[in-house]
Amino acid sequence: MSRKGVLAGFFILHFSLIFLVSTRQVLFGLAEGNTLLPSSWSPVLARLVGIATTALAENLAPENLIRRGIAGYTHSTGIDTGYAYFAPNVAISHKLVFEVKYPDGRVEYDLPHVGGEATGLRLVLLFDNIARIRYDVLRETLFRMMAFSIWLEHPDASVVRVVFGVVDLPSVSDFEHGKRESYEVLYAYDFRFSPPAPPVSP
Amino acid sequence: MPLIQVIRERLIAFLFPAESDRWLSILRVGLGIQVIAYAWSARADWVELFARSSSGFGNRELTEVILSVQSPFAPRLGWLVSMGKYLGVSEAIVLWTAWSCLLCAGVFLLFGLFSRPAAVTAWFLHLCAVKSEQLLTYGMDNFTTIGLFYLMLAPLPDRLAVDVHLWRTPMGDPQSLGFWRRVLQIHLCFIYFFAGIAKSLSLEWWTGTSIWRALTSTPYDLISPQVLVSWKYLLPVVGSAICLLETGYPLFIWPKKTRTFWLASVISMHVAIGLTMGLYLFAFIMIVLNGAGFVPELVRRRDS
Repeated sequence: MSRKGVLAGFFILHFSLIFLVSTRQVLFGLAEGNTLLPSSWSPVLARLVGIATTALAENLAPENLIRRGIAGYTHSTGIDTGYAYFAPNVAISHKLVFEVKYPDGRVEYDLPHVGGEATGLRLVLLFDNIARIRYDVLRETLFRMMAFSIWLEHPDASVVRVVFGVVDLPSVSDFEHGKRESYEVLYAYDFRFSPPAPPVSP
Repeated sequence: MPLIQVIRERLIAFLFPAESDRWLSILRVGLGIQVIAYAWSARADWVELFARSSSGFGNRELTEVILSVQSPFAPRLGWLVSMGKYLGVSEAIVLWTAWSCLLCAGVFLLFGLFSRPAAVTAWFLHLCAVKSEQLLTYGMDNFTTIGLFYLMLAPLPDRLAVDVHLWRTPMGDPQSLGFWRRVLQIHLCFIYFFAGIAKSLSLEWWTGTSIWRALTSTPYDLISPQVLVSWKYLLPVVGSAICLLETGYPLFIWPKKTRTFWLASVISMHVAIGLTMGLYLFAFIMIVLNGAGFVPELVRRRDS
């Protein structure tokens, strides 16, 4: 096959994958409702999402080579996600607060902190991803790791409570009438940590 | 001439136009700056993000387990750490070496020194980092990967690269240059069309509610809500303009009459996103991709 033929083949395969991934993401967002489309369309849209998922081989067994190959390619080329940023609607903001409780009854509050501004920006994305997690164990594991990093800074604390919630932003008119953002708790976990036991001398 | 033959020839003419390497210079220099800025901005949290013993917010081991379920072939820093362990090199040294190599690859790309190895190194290390912090990634990371992937495959070096002057490396074939620019252009059309259509099907973008929400959500709330409220009549205009600009991109970026306006408007939109929401690296990579995709066309027209 000529060099142009190979490149044309790459072109068709590459953009077919981009089309499938992007279409699926848009359809998924639309199927969730709250758009200009009638809600009666949701089942059809959900079915189309299923077709795109099948075309991307994601219904095959995880160890299937075709599935692994497609996923490896899309991840390596940066086309594994679609382009519906802030769409169809801007996602709800999430917030994480740590309640650090001491044996004497004192309670201190802390927020997640990182070294650089750029990583701080990424924390919001982490919170959005956590909110989407359906597996309780995975969510709890992530919260436990975060709580542990806070406990390391407060080793005298008896309990670190992780409070995760959504931030309800006021609309423009509500804001003009004095309403400000409020916070609604989604999950709260209590974690207890203990320092490692000192080495036993012989 | 049979119809199929005509279609085939037109398709080949569309996919393989003879093209200069100006666009490649923009892409290489732009991605060099992007990679340097990415590495520099991540330096304070690099080990905290990727160390196995990290107790913080982006535990690499957990992220890589999730990644393995999705795709065991996707590159990750865990591969380099395992290799280092086999050779008796500590995790911290491996991580800092990866960071240093990424920064150096960015500098080499900027000057066009060892362009191809620098592009491959930058693509691989950036991808490893992005995949190993998958729960914390956003659009900017994907667009940087896309840009680096195309740069790595494009016929490097371009005439502004140091390589050409130092080693007298032959320049790329014009049709090959044209093909990779075409790939980038069409990818940009996909990006904006899907971004635009997803927004256009929501009433909140046309009423300006989405703009308000985006600009008042933490950490994008650089402008105080009091200032935004005083401009509230502009919010629906801005929201509608974004829907039209993005959805119309694949239609209006090609005709010569509308290209300059559309490109200038899209670049202005990204400058505004960068300045008002603090998404500087996201804005920069989008400007670089648009610049490489369509700006050389404008320059060439002026030249002629």
